[in-house]
Amino acid sequence: MPDLNMDNTLILHGLAPMNWALAGGILGLVTLLLLWLTNTRLGVSSTYEDFCAIASRRPYFTRPAIKGSGGWRLWFAAGLVLGGVLSAALAGGWAPITDLGMWDTVIAGGPVLKTLWLFGGGLLIGFGTRLANGCTSGHGIFGLSNFEPASIVAVAMFMGAGFVTTNLVYRLIFQ
Amino acid sequence: MRSDAARRVLFVLLGLAFGFALSRSGAGDYDFVQGMFLLTNFQLFGIIGGGVVVTAIGLQVLKRTGRTIHGESITIRAKVLNRGTVVGSLLFGAGWSFTGMCPGPVLVNLGEGKVYALAVLAGVLTGTWLLGAAYDRLQAPMGLPAIEPASVSATAASPASH
Repeated sequence: MPDLNMDNTLILHGLAPMNWALAGGILGLVTLLLLWLTNTRLGVSSTYEDFCAIASRRPYFTRPAIKGSGGWRLWFAAGLVLGGVLSAALAGGWAPITDLGMWDTVIAGGPVLKTLWLFGGGLLIGFGTRLANGCTSGHGIFGLSNFEPASIVAVAMFMGAGFVTTNLVYRLIFQ
Repeated sequence: MRSDAARRVLFVLLGLAFGFALSRSGAGDYDFVQGMFLLTNFQLFGIIGGGVVVTAIGLQVLKRTGRTIHGESITIRAKVLNRGTVVGSLLFGAGWSFTGMCPGPVLVNLGEGKVYALAVLAGVLTGTWLLGAAYDRLQAPMGLPAIEPASVSATAASPASH
């Protein structure tokens, strides 16, 4: 069994993590404020369609759900990036980070393998979330909270696939 | 809607709070995501579960009043279940495992200065573009809805559904 981060610290400056209930509370509160203040349903994966819509004229990317949404997701996305910047800056200073935790100690590939591995994973995320019409936010937080059948199925599928993939990688192939 | 500028600032601030919580809680951390799938670290189950409980309770309250702060009627369009939901989520789950990031944390990790998140971002954008390019061919086999035609007045369109 490889070292599975039993010290329970973040890659970011080796911080101890925020209390899970506090973090969950913030995520829930933001989701509710988005709906109450702006009549907007939380969902992050469609943000990448806004990015594609900047360069593509395909009907899929120019449909009203994207082009007619006023571009709110791009502002929310800017906030997500700033949240990361602020978190790093307050934790001990912003600096480029190349550590990938267990991947570096167990899989221990070079920069080329790391880049290809992460790009490949990103392909699956982009293609998969848009095929499924949602991700951990739109299906996972909003859809589950709203007891939507599609979201219950989606969460079962992506949690199951993640469980199988990680266990194959870290308990079978690389160990 | 109130002034566009105020609305944009609000979206940025809400995103910032969301992103900060993702960053500090471990929800955007490669090791914490692997720990969740290995069942050696239960932090992320707590975060997602906590978020769902808070949101579910709040949704009940908001549905009872049925109005936003500005008095607009709250519209929630439930997502549609089709074969794409199953296949897409399976692909996404594998991608989440490979990268330790879901779509929100990709952006948060970029903000934190994690250089390798650029490779994930490039992959996500390429994957999204590929789905858009293949949508017509996937529509029948995956049971996906037809693409809505571009609206006549894009600015007056209803709020986004996802």
